[in-house]
Amino acid sequence: MEISRISQADVQNGAIKIAARDVCVYYAEEQALYNVSLDIQDTMVTALIGPSGCGKSTFIRCLNRMNDTIETCRVEGTIELDGVDIHGRNIDPVQLRARVGMVFQKPNPFPKSIYDNVAYGPRIHGLADTREELDGIVQLSLEKAALWEEVKDRLHAPGTGLSGGQQQRLCIARAISTRPELLLMDEPCSALDPIATSQIEELIGQLRESFSVVIVTHSMQQAARVSQKTAFFHLGSLVEVNETEAIFTNPQDERTESYITGRIG
Amino acid sequence: MILDSKHINSAFDEDLDRLLTQLMTMGGLVENAIRESSRALINLDTELAESVIKDDHRIDLIQEDIDMAAVNCIALRQPQARDLRMIIAVMRISNALERCADHAKNTAKRTSAIVEAPPLTETIASLGRFSKLVQALIKDSLDCFIQADESKARDVIARDHEIDQIHSGLFREYLTYMLEKPSIITSTMHLMFIAKNIERISDHATAIAEQAVYMMTGHLPEDERPKNDDAAYVASADQD
Repeated sequence: MEISRISQADVQNGAIKIAARDVCVYYAEEQALYNVSLDIQDTMVTALIGPSGCGKSTFIRCLNRMNDTIETCRVEGTIELDGVDIHGRNIDPVQLRARVGMVFQKPNPFPKSIYDNVAYGPRIHGLADTREELDGIVQLSLEKAALWEEVKDRLHAPGTGLSGGQQQRLCIARAISTRPELLLMDEPCSALDPIATSQIEELIGQLRESFSVVIVTHSMQQAARVSQKTAFFHLGSLVEVNETEAIFTNPQDERTESYITGRIG
Repeated sequence: MILDSKHINSAFDEDLDRLLTQLMTMGGLVENAIRESSRALINLDTELAESVIKDDHRIDLIQEDIDMAAVNCIALRQPQARDLRMIIAVMRISNALERCADHAKNTAKRTSAIVEAPPLTETIASLGRFSKLVQALIKDSLDCFIQADESKARDVIARDHEIDQIHSGLFREYLTYMLEKPSIITSTMHLMFIAKNIERISDHATAIAEQAVYMMTGHLPEDERPKNDDAAYVASADQD
């Protein structure tokens, strides 16, 4: 697939948040991603779909350098956030992860209070000077994650005492408390019931107004419901990326067609 | 063929198979209705015409079944891409076929009236030839869908042009006969309406072929067909 070089005009216009070019990832000798070039557009939800082991999670983890934590992992190619290489010398991965937040498959709140879970990021990044400011960030983050009304009277209760769906929204509140520009979600609803799933999906639609969202999902219906762009990965390669509507009604690549119609798993 | 490879979930394949079988059964019944309505007219056979009218109900019931099966398939299987387009196409095609059957029924109803005061033999004969062409068109339109044959579908679409021309020609022919022999005006007017019914069936064949193209490519073909049916304007043109 031909993707043009990153246009500075596009970056400046804010149209492209992340531009990945020829990204290859190796776990020791094993190659997991093959020359993936993909633009993540601003204020849009991009869904990554594909069978298990196709490299979609590996790709999403490249975007905030989560793969740095795996010793045998090697990433090649360039990934630019707002036109700046995220592997550049001056880039601090911790700062990068504040700009590019992440929500995981299973809700993983810290064994702390609801309040402290959300306040953790702003505290270590020094985003609040006063207690009032921190309170404001915690409230706003919980409101944006559609959890405030349910927990405002028990902010100091342990986060682990919430239901699965609430815990996941708490993790979203934690991820957005550092005011990221991009939110990565790795199968955020796979451990949730349909009601909690609908709440998270509704939330993704709202978050999109403030951030770009990249979501990895195994549910094609979910990709169809929440995203504007969909990228299909297969065997470590990006096969096709297009408007979500086009992918689900008229995909251009036979492999995409076979996957979404349930002919290959 | 239309179902080229199997789904991991085999029950989905069975659903699609069943849906296509229903559509083909309906197609067969509709082809039969068109053929028999034409035969009843040529032979002035009221009994055959009556059976065409009676059998139309069965076609309506199959169409309802197809609609229900397609809705169930969408709800339970969440089809995507080509599967989804196929199901949508089946629904539209069954709708077009049901309309074709209505036109055949209408022809049969008029046949009973024509028997009371038969028109000239040659006027009926030309209508029989016209009907044969359209019957072939309906058959080809269903074949191109089930065989997923795009070039055949485009051929069906192109042939509608010829049908429109013949329809215009028939209109002129009937006008001439009526001017020559006013006593056959009533029966020939019925023939004119029957000709219109047959011409409408050809339009539905075009619509079916268009759905076949949509199913295969994801796009409806662009409407490039020249409009050749000027039957509606003939009278005013002749007055000049």
